[in-house]
Amino acid sequence: MEYLLHILVIAGIYIILTVSLNLIIGFTGLPALGHAAFSCIGAYTSSLLALNLGLSPWVGLFIGGCLAAVSGIVVGYPAVRLKGDYLALATFGLGVIVYSIAKNWVSLTRGPMGLPGIPGFSVFGYQLSEIWHYLIIVAFFDFVTVFVINRIVNSPFGRVLRSIREDEVASLALGKDTNRHKLIVFIVGAFFAGIAGGLYAHYITFIDPSSFTVMESIVILLMVIFGGMESIEGSIVGAVVLVVLPEMLRFFGMPSSIAAPLRQMIYGLLLVVLIIKRPQGVMGTYRWR
Amino acid sequence: MLWQLIINGAIAGSIYALIALGFTIIYRTVKFFHLAHGVVYTAGAYLAYTVVRYQLSVAGDQVSVLGWMIAIFVGIFGSTILGVLIDRLVYYPLRKRNASNLIFLLASFGVFIFIQNLIQLIYGAQILTIRTGPVKEGRHFFGAVITDVQILILVVSVVLMVLLWVFIQKTKLGKAMRAVSDDPVAANVVGINPEKIIFISFAIGSALAGVAGILISFETNIEPTMGFNAILKGIIASIVGGIGSIPGAVLGGFFLGLVENLGIWGIQAGWKDTIAFVILIIFLLLRPWGLLGTRTERETI
Repeated sequence: MEYLLHILVIAGIYIILTVSLNLIIGFTGLPALGHAAFSCIGAYTSSLLALNLGLSPWVGLFIGGCLAAVSGIVVGYPAVRLKGDYLALATFGLGVIVYSIAKNWVSLTRGPMGLPGIPGFSVFGYQLSEIWHYLIIVAFFDFVTVFVINRIVNSPFGRVLRSIREDEVASLALGKDTNRHKLIVFIVGAFFAGIAGGLYAHYITFIDPSSFTVMESIVILLMVIFGGMESIEGSIVGAVVLVVLPEMLRFFGMPSSIAAPLRQMIYGLLLVVLIIKRPQGVMGTYRWR
Repeated sequence: MLWQLIINGAIAGSIYALIALGFTIIYRTVKFFHLAHGVVYTAGAYLAYTVVRYQLSVAGDQVSVLGWMIAIFVGIFGSTILGVLIDRLVYYPLRKRNASNLIFLLASFGVFIFIQNLIQLIYGAQILTIRTGPVKEGRHFFGAVITDVQILILVVSVVLMVLLWVFIQKTKLGKAMRAVSDDPVAANVVGINPEKIIFISFAIGSALAGVAGILISFETNIEPTMGFNAILKGIIASIVGGIGSIPGAVLGGFFLGLVENLGIWGIQAGWKDTIAFVILIIFLLLRPWGLLGTRTERETI
């Protein structure tokens, strides 16, 4: 039961990541391959503030999200200038840079040793330690993320985002400031990814750079593709299915030296098969080319 | 110290240049980022390793010169087949559908993850070595040390670069490849089958990746994740040199190797990757057409 709840908490954290990435890549059509970098920044900010300054995780979570949003501006800047696979490569490169800073800035992040003993959340002095407490917290943030992003994409602002994806020159011709829209999308997406990273850090109570590799960004992207671009429900389904599915391998009693690469192989194969056979994902309707 | 860093940079640079060359040969005809090129490189090294280990288990502690030749041949041939297979099974259906470059990039990422983890499943995640004898002391050269293997790497890569240049510039097939690269439709009109040229590009490019993988396995150890860094450096080298340009790939490779190795003069070696990617971002933003490339429509907006 504990284990099942744990899987649900992890799936909930991934829901925040997939829905926020879907805003960037699905709705606006900007290929961002460095989403894990934002959650890395959020996780490290919140953890370091809690460990070194004794700041409450609630405040740290918010500051972490804001710092991730600031880094979203840094990533959004190339997005204004580059397109398609060049942008994918640039965001990918920024993902590697953030990962390698987390790994090499040993005096701050303790590098590959990671940060142990990150405090959990507390409410009115009462320490939250049960897993279901965290399930409620994560579910709350899932709700906020889905609510905010749903409002964004169903607003006039969201229609401009779709028009940027379909034909940027046409939306420029209609007097829309596409660069500003792209930048805002990156800021919002990065903010939620930063929150997700903070939640992860305070839940697991230990983080190290290996949780935020570029491979992690690809897994988040796979979840978005699996559920379907431009489908928030799809992103939720994608996150849950692709977190739960590899856990099945454990029930066959596989040692982790086999289960770990097998899990990655499933992800790789799924990515290729989806792109060739069903690019709109299981729930989406939008066929991207 | 400076000389040593320059030599290390040149060796790393020649490996980067080989990978970038293979990548560029493929890029020129298909115009997308073939990331799975990195795993073709890994596969070459592992195939050669398997053949060497097999001979050791059969014939004791020595591998004959012929045995090494067979191992190298199997490695190169295996990577060639793998590269062509990836094209046929994954890229061909996408090409039929007229998919965007981004779709190709993501598909090749999937192939990369799949094969890398397949290798890890078979051989395990640990570091392996292909070398059999004790490590020989290197030669001294202006106060720096260079080993025989490193000289081999430099010589082989320079020879291959020259051969490839001659092939592309002087032969009829090379001319056809340049034609498809410049304008696939017009090339088709004058009777060049683009699918055939794509096939040949994947074969040559993947063979080069195999050579690079085998060379690096003589110099250092091999591990399943080695292809990831290699292809990223190869792509960075190609972009720095000018994407699609063959001299650019060579120049970019050596440039990247030297800057990485000279850059760590003052700071720790762990920052090498950061240096490489900062160079990539700078080039993507300020000069996306690279050092030797020409500015085109695609790169300007």
